[in-house]
Amino acid sequence: MDKKHILIVDDDPAILRLLSTNLKARGYEIFTAIDGAESLEAVQKDFIDLIILDLMMPKIDGVEVCRRVREWSDVPIIILSARGDENDKVKCLDLGADDYLTKPFGIAELMARIKTAFRHRGDPTVAPAQATFACDGLEINFAKRRVTVDGKEVTLTPTEFALLQHLAVNSDKVLTHNMLLQSVWGNEYSSEKEYLRVFVGRLRRKLEPDPKNPKYIQTIPGVGYHIATSTASVA
Amino acid sequence: MKNKESILVVDDDLDFLGIIRKILENKGYKTSTVPSASEALSLLEKQFYNAVILDISLPDADGTELLPKILELHPYILAIMLTGHSSVKNAVESLNRGAFAYLEKPLNPENLLSVINRGMEKQLLVFENRQLMDELERHNRITNTLLSVSQAVAQTLDLQKIIDSALEKVAECIGVEASFVYLRDKDHFKLKGYHGLSTQTVKDMPEEVSNNTGIFSNLIEQSGPIIIEDLKKTNEPDLGFLNNVGYRSFAGVPLAILGENIGVLGIATDFNQIFSPNNVDLLTGIGREIAIAVRNAQLYEEASSVKALRELDAMRTAFLANVSHELRTPLAVIKGSANSLLQPDVIFDEQTRRDFLVSIDKDADTLTRLVDDLLMISRLEANALEVKKKPSKLIDVISAIKDRLDNLTVKHHMHIDIAEEIPTVNIDEGRIGEVLTNLVENAVKFSEDNTNIYIKAINKNKEVLISVADEGIGIPLELHQRIFERFFQGDGRKAGRRKGTGLGLAICQGIVEAHGGEIWVESTPGKGAKFSFNIPVN
Repeated sequence: MDKKHILIVDDDPAILRLLSTNLKARGYEIFTAIDGAESLEAVQKDFIDLIILDLMMPKIDGVEVCRRVREWSDVPIIILSARGDENDKVKCLDLGADDYLTKPFGIAELMARIKTAFRHRGDPTVAPAQATFACDGLEINFAKRRVTVDGKEVTLTPTEFALLQHLAVNSDKVLTHNMLLQSVWGNEYSSEKEYLRVFVGRLRRKLEPDPKNPKYIQTIPGVGYHIATSTASVA
Repeated sequence: MKNKESILVVDDDLDFLGIIRKILENKGYKTSTVPSASEALSLLEKQFYNAVILDISLPDADGTELLPKILELHPYILAIMLTGHSSVKNAVESLNRGAFAYLEKPLNPENLLSVINRGMEKQLLVFENRQLMDELERHNRITNTLLSVSQAVAQTLDLQKIIDSALEKVAECIGVEASFVYLRDKDHFKLKGYHGLSTQTVKDMPEEVSNNTGIFSNLIEQSGPIIIEDLKKTNEPDLGFLNNVGYRSFAGVPLAILGENIGVLGIATDFNQIFSPNNVDLLTGIGREIAIAVRNAQLYEEASSVKALRELDAMRTAFLANVSHELRTPLAVIKGSANSLLQPDVIFDEQTRRDFLVSIDKDADTLTRLVDDLLMISRLEANALEVKKKPSKLIDVISAIKDRLDNLTVKHHMHIDIAEEIPTVNIDEGRIGEVLTNLVENAVKFSEDNTNIYIKAINKNKEVLISVADEGIGIPLELHQRIFERFFQGDGRKAGRRKGTGLGLAICQGIVEAHGGEIWVESTPGKGAKFSFNIPVN
């Protein structure tokens, strides 16, 4: 397997060095950028599989980098910030980041999160039993990782796709917050309830004709989410 | 007796005088009689008569000529001329000159009394009119005065200016020389302003007066004016400062607004003044105007301080967020480096392990410096910065930090120019060294590699002027003050450089001010910045 390419964006040279050393030692190919502008150039120039992104940077900050990258790329983004504010976290996830880790952090934890991001990206460890899913205009081709709503293609990030896939494969079953977090993200995410809220929100904005009155992904208050397929067919 | 009016009869016929006195006294008039013009005038000069009955031909003067003199003394007097057949022409002349009527001799008593009656009625009307006019004028004056006070105090929301201008108006409108205002403050009255008092009197004035006893609390309690005609006869301890310097009388009113008395306005004169009800009313009105303006100013002050507190709070919150961020960044390096060494899945080579340890060591230093800065700022906030001044040479200060400056400016060209004639200054060498290091650090942070940084010191009129100039991005004019505020963060530092705590320049300012100097910046954006500070030479 080719080495995965990871871009590390941080204005602190010491953090760049620390991350580079650790990731190289674990077999990743590393690119670095010391500000937002440089990072955007790198994403366009090199083939990047994942971005580890700091928030507070000169010129273009991490939030803006996240927003701009998401305009044309679904590359996984892990935010690594010294800002531990819940609002920052939700804002970044909402903008399309896949994960948010607060400084200081443990190396093992960062490695686990990187693995989770790659898992979402497309080499599913467990292939879904069925090839496609269809429900009231929403169609998913699991093999091609292609989603359409009323025939129009919708671009999803890997994490968004992983969540949608899990809901679709288990359609008509109620999936609790914990079940979803553990299956889609991993065991260590079971307390990150806002991840689920933000990502369901992101999916609804992309899929639902009226995100406020969703017809595909239903909320079961206090419990979890499900896709109800009274009219859906599974091929 | 029904009538109280007084009548003077002037005639040289003594029998006639006797008869007429009887007739008039019978009707209750207070009657005086004199036989000559000179005696009449001397009486009239002493007192007022409602009416004068005047014979036209008197031995020492012509009644027609006497009349204008009488009217000059008493414009409202009722003048009735007495005349014989021969002098009717003169009598008509008298009417033209202001007499009320003329009667021919021999007199018909009934006729006389009826003329007097009519005249008195007319005179009463005139008096009433005059009273009404006076009343109107008084109201006018009060209204105008209050208007001018209200205009004067409405010019500003500054409490002190309000009180000062109000007291000036009081002096101008009521014509008293001394006035003062005390405002209520929790359990005391506090002196807030005075006008027309000597320096000595001001020294004697109590800054604070008890809220529970004394004349001020009486004023508040009875919610109306208090007048003391003779200060010597009373023993008001709170007014002792007036008595001591010879003020004789005092009037005070509460400053009342919406049923609340927020202070007192007092006036004093150095003669025994009977304060007229007009002036007391006026003073009460002025008191109300001052109270309104003072309350407005207090509310404004409160609102401003609430706003300032909110801003301070927002600044502190931002500061805490910033401090947390700044602490987490080096901590992330320390924790990450140590954690890397502990991971079982990777064994790093010797050099890499050493690099991790170097990172830990360096960022532990960064953390230490950050904590030092925070401590320094808290000392500055508490005014507890210790400055150990001793006579020093600036060149020694530079020498002491030279290595550090060289390290900082390794990618820049540093030029140090200390004029030879710089005298010894009384400074804390370490602290001034900190200021210089901080300024050079900023210069490096905000300018490109390979540009110049100039450190210069010159001797200038009893002060040493030290500056650090760079060729960097500069600072826009609107930030020239703000950059010295605590926690202020500038944009535009070079990429890859760590952001500071926003405390450096605030610390520099604190240190320079502790040396009796000032620090400032001159800069044109794009052309660099020059930070200067001065230190007085003792």
